[in-house]
Amino acid sequence: MVNVYEAQAANKRKSALVVVVFFLFVALAVYVLSQAFAVYSGYRPGGLGMVGLALIVSGLLSIGSYYFSDKIVLSISQARPANRKKDFTFYTVAENLAIATGLPKPKLYVIEDSAPNAFATGRDPKRAVICATTGLLDKLTRTELEGVIGHELSHVKNYDIRLQGLVAVMVGMVALLGDWFLRMRWGGRRDDNDSGGLGAVIMLLGIIFAILSPIIAQLIQLAISRRREYLADAGSVAITRQPEGLISALEKISADREPLEVANKATAHLFIVNPFKERTGRAVERLAGLFNTHPPVSERIKILKEMA
Amino acid sequence: MWYLALGIAVLLVLWAISVYNFFVSSKARIKASVQEIGNQLKRQAELIPNLVESTKGYLKHEKGIFEDLTSARRAISAAVQSGNVQKMADAGAKLAAVIPSITVAVEDNPELKGSDVVTKLMDELRDTSDKVMYARRLVIDLTADYNVRRVSVPSSFIAGLFKFDELPGLITPQEGEHTKVSETEMKSPKVKL
Repeated sequence: MVNVYEAQAANKRKSALVVVVFFLFVALAVYVLSQAFAVYSGYRPGGLGMVGLALIVSGLLSIGSYYFSDKIVLSISQARPANRKKDFTFYTVAENLAIATGLPKPKLYVIEDSAPNAFATGRDPKRAVICATTGLLDKLTRTELEGVIGHELSHVKNYDIRLQGLVAVMVGMVALLGDWFLRMRWGGRRDDNDSGGLGAVIMLLGIIFAILSPIIAQLIQLAISRRREYLADAGSVAITRQPEGLISALEKISADREPLEVANKATAHLFIVNPFKERTGRAVERLAGLFNTHPPVSERIKILKEMA
Repeated sequence: MWYLALGIAVLLVLWAISVYNFFVSSKARIKASVQEIGNQLKRQAELIPNLVESTKGYLKHEKGIFEDLTSARRAISAAVQSGNVQKMADAGAKLAAVIPSITVAVEDNPELKGSDVVTKLMDELRDTSDKVMYARRLVIDLTADYNVRRVSVPSSFIAGLFKFDELPGLITPQEGEHTKVSETEMKSPKVKL
């Protein structure tokens, strides 16, 4: 038996820890790579210039997705605005939970797809969008839908879209730096004889970091994503006080074997349950779990049951 | 050394300001959320009679319901005007007490259950009582946050310094029959079919 507040506080702590680890790791990778760039260029100023350039390029790449993510996702997913008459339960549940959290009512959209799923986007609570498929609206009861919408509203309340955007910029920056480092003209200039052994060690470290850090950064990014899912589950229970609703909704959604046609790799992390169905093979399950945007549904249900 | 001391002092002041702002803005949000309850009760008081009016043809044998609704509605408008949270909650409870009798009237009558108008009525009834419930939930959550931070270290120092009082939230009686569980209530209920 875990009290909702404790569960929420524990989740917030763990989530903050993962985020801190992520930023420390990015700082370390950037430091090592910039040192290696400096050794390569013979200690002329410019190592940090590369980092700045990588940050700007990565930022520009993500800025579009950050400011227009809601519009892009909605147009990719072919969503239509929800209306009170046609989607009465969806509309009123979202309205009510917005009252409960004190957030403005998010914009609501419906995707015509029989696979049950839902997602939230928009960079702050004022511009939040919650989208549900017709499959979800048809298959869930009002209480179950409250659990799902509560989960999405928690993502909105916790600024998860903003966090994921920021993390994506960092991952992009590390990937660019590593890529540039490996593409340098090796054997072109050889004026590092003044640095000696230390220079060689830094170059070696640079190569290791250039290869490994983009992968590691991405793995931590996924860990953050999974942590935020647990946090949103706990947040949903804190709003509705009915863990059973979310539990049976998750069971229904994961039992449904139909893939969501409009989802793709880029939008997968937004949904309440991974739209690409999880394959379970015991030996590789744990390893494969590292690459998932969502924690396994069975684990989420187990944790929710402890709150019930 | 001086810079370090100065830096710590600046951080302390910034922290004190943020805690102070938390208390002040919480108070304002709690006040607004109490008004939201009144707002939702008012919506409910206006909506239900209209809904029932549209189903009058179906519910003609249930004259008592209409009388109860009218008196509940009057109590709510008076309470909303007075702005007293407790009165609003009481009036809301009066209206909420009518809802089950409407539900029973519908459940008892298979003909009513099937009709679209009545289904719509039931949906709206559930929605409006949910709205009031969630508006109350917000007041409860916000006051709990406020009261917890008021007594927990270190924010309690700021609360003490600026004399932030404990807020009551929604008042429910702390003593009485409902806080005790009797012997018969401990037994699992038997259902006869």
